[in-house]
Amino acid sequence: MELLANLALGFGVALTPVNLGFAFVGVLVGTLIGVLPGIGPITTIAMLLPLTFHLEPVSGLIMLAGIFYGAQYGGSTTAILVNLPGETSAVVTCIDGHQMARRGRAGAALAVAALGSFFAGSIATALIATFAPPLALVGQSFGAPEYFSLMALGLIAAVVLAHGSVIKAVAMIILGLLIGLIGTDGNTGGTRFTFGIIELVDGIDVATLAIGIFGVGEIITNLTQPPEQRSVIAQKITRLWPTREDFRRAWPAVLRGTGIGSILGVLPGGGATLSSFAAYALEKKVSRHPTQFGRGAVEGVAGPESANNAGAQTSFIPMLTLGIPGNAVMALMIGALMIHGIQPGPQIMSERPAMFWGMIASMWIGNAMLLVINLPLIGIWVQLLKVPYRFLYLSILLFCAIGVYTVNNSSAAVLLAAFFGVLGYVFMRLQCEPAPMILGFVLGPLMEENLRRAMRISGGDPMIFINRPISFGLLVAAGLLLTLVALPTIRSRRDEAFQES
Amino acid sequence: MSDRASKRPIPGPLDWGLLARKDVLAGLMFMAVAVLGLVISNNYPIGTALRMGTGYVPRLLCWLLLALGAVILLQGLREARAQTISQNGSLPAWRPVIFVTAGMVIFALTIERLGLVVAILLLTGIGAVAARGLRPFETAIAALVLVILSWAIFIVGLGLTIPVWPDW
Repeated sequence: MELLANLALGFGVALTPVNLGFAFVGVLVGTLIGVLPGIGPITTIAMLLPLTFHLEPVSGLIMLAGIFYGAQYGGSTTAILVNLPGETSAVVTCIDGHQMARRGRAGAALAVAALGSFFAGSIATALIATFAPPLALVGQSFGAPEYFSLMALGLIAAVVLAHGSVIKAVAMIILGLLIGLIGTDGNTGGTRFTFGIIELVDGIDVATLAIGIFGVGEIITNLTQPPEQRSVIAQKITRLWPTREDFRRAWPAVLRGTGIGSILGVLPGGGATLSSFAAYALEKKVSRHPTQFGRGAVEGVAGPESANNAGAQTSFIPMLTLGIPGNAVMALMIGALMIHGIQPGPQIMSERPAMFWGMIASMWIGNAMLLVINLPLIGIWVQLLKVPYRFLYLSILLFCAIGVYTVNNSSAAVLLAAFFGVLGYVFMRLQCEPAPMILGFVLGPLMEENLRRAMRISGGDPMIFINRPISFGLLVAAGLLLTLVALPTIRSRRDEAFQES
Repeated sequence: MSDRASKRPIPGPLDWGLLARKDVLAGLMFMAVAVLGLVISNNYPIGTALRMGTGYVPRLLCWLLLALGAVILLQGLREARAQTISQNGSLPAWRPVIFVTAGMVIFALTIERLGLVVAILLLTGIGAVAARGLRPFETAIAALVLVILSWAIFIVGLGLTIPVWPDW
């Protein structure tokens, strides 16, 4: 019954007019940027991070969370109607969703995607509410060595489950850890890597780094690509409601997608994108008509779309309960907490129950709002697709600049973000995924702190990480993951999983 | 490095094509950052494992990064069909790199003295050069819309204390 009391508290917080308003703004912005290719949830959340400083922490979190899962809804719209993924998590939705649209069944595809997402979102919200408290309890029993090992496992797993070269991703993590060390060392008071620049003494703000790398870097990268051809399906969407046959075929796929997304979302490195790819592969495998895939199979829309929404939401679990971000968006959420001086970790739930449960309750409310925003208003979103990127990027660039400036009213931060922008472009050009770097950046100071504490406990003996059973287990898991991914067969399977399209 | 290069069909003192490979460049980049970090942190007190000094963790990470960079570099050199940076058919990149960055830099330099309005006009004006096909008329409209929008959101809506007009 404690769960019900907690949820009641949460809905009490989430249903205040102010928080309803922020949930609505969040899901609306999320849908918008989900629909528009060229700007994603990471960039948007980074840009809005400085603004949350002026809000109540819970309102800020509700809005940022809404952007993340709202983008999963919006991404499917572009995928189905334009055959262009609005988000990477909607890449597989293009395959069958767009085929359905070409056969005049765009309405059904959109409805299946939205209804599946809503179902998955509701289940995922319930899962967070159920599993977060016990996990936080486990987290509370952790000491410094366990925490250090958990973070190490989190970083490694994030790399293994992400796509691209593992060794480059590890190098990016270390680069992120190093950038995280810039500034004053809290333990000794010495400054590190400040290059004699006063503004760097306090360290680099996560918003500055993320806006530079993802926001500005992405603009440069997009501008170097030739302008893409967008052919919006011109037909009127007449029939929105799916047929009985669609429902019969879609609901098992929705269930499977929700399951796979919920599990993969919790894992570090998981989240929306991995979930949708895995769900599509699963649907293809279990289907009795595998040949229909790629020709407008409704399961190919229902499965991945449910999975990406479930995964987006359950990826909050490790962030909220352990303070460990599984993906770049969660790293930014931790940044949002830190802006308010809230230390992420298992104590959040007991110390700030209203914030914790308010945010969870808002997810369900936000999902209900998204259903309304997406289905009847679909025509408006389609119109938006006609806005060319050359108009879009100027606004993104400006909001990046203003956003960075408002963190500390500092021009130096804007210069720094410009520098990171060029760096972000170089990374993308060299195929170095920047997401692991943000994870390293956020976890760097925490890892160093826990390493120091662990060493003080053990008197400088690194064996403490092996002598403590939980810590040892976590490190073994990290080692196993690294070895597994180095094996040739697994590596090719992993590459395959990301090349469905 | 030059030893491997000389075994290739087209011999030369140094095969510059190798340098254009993504992994080679990435490896060199990581190694350069690591070396820079090691040089800078040279005089940071390291301390002991029990009482770690300012330099303990940074130097440890730099050595790790140096090693990883070297492995990436070697992989890049040994790969038979490596991707080079010019292979993805992208347009010449100098234009967006220069003008997007310049827009940000000018914004940073002007926001405090000349205020939000002038800074936005400069950023959109310079930033617009980064893309092809943006007509002057369109840029002017975009700049105007962005000034009004930013003013409404940041100054009126959020009440931020950003100077709006030039400070004479």
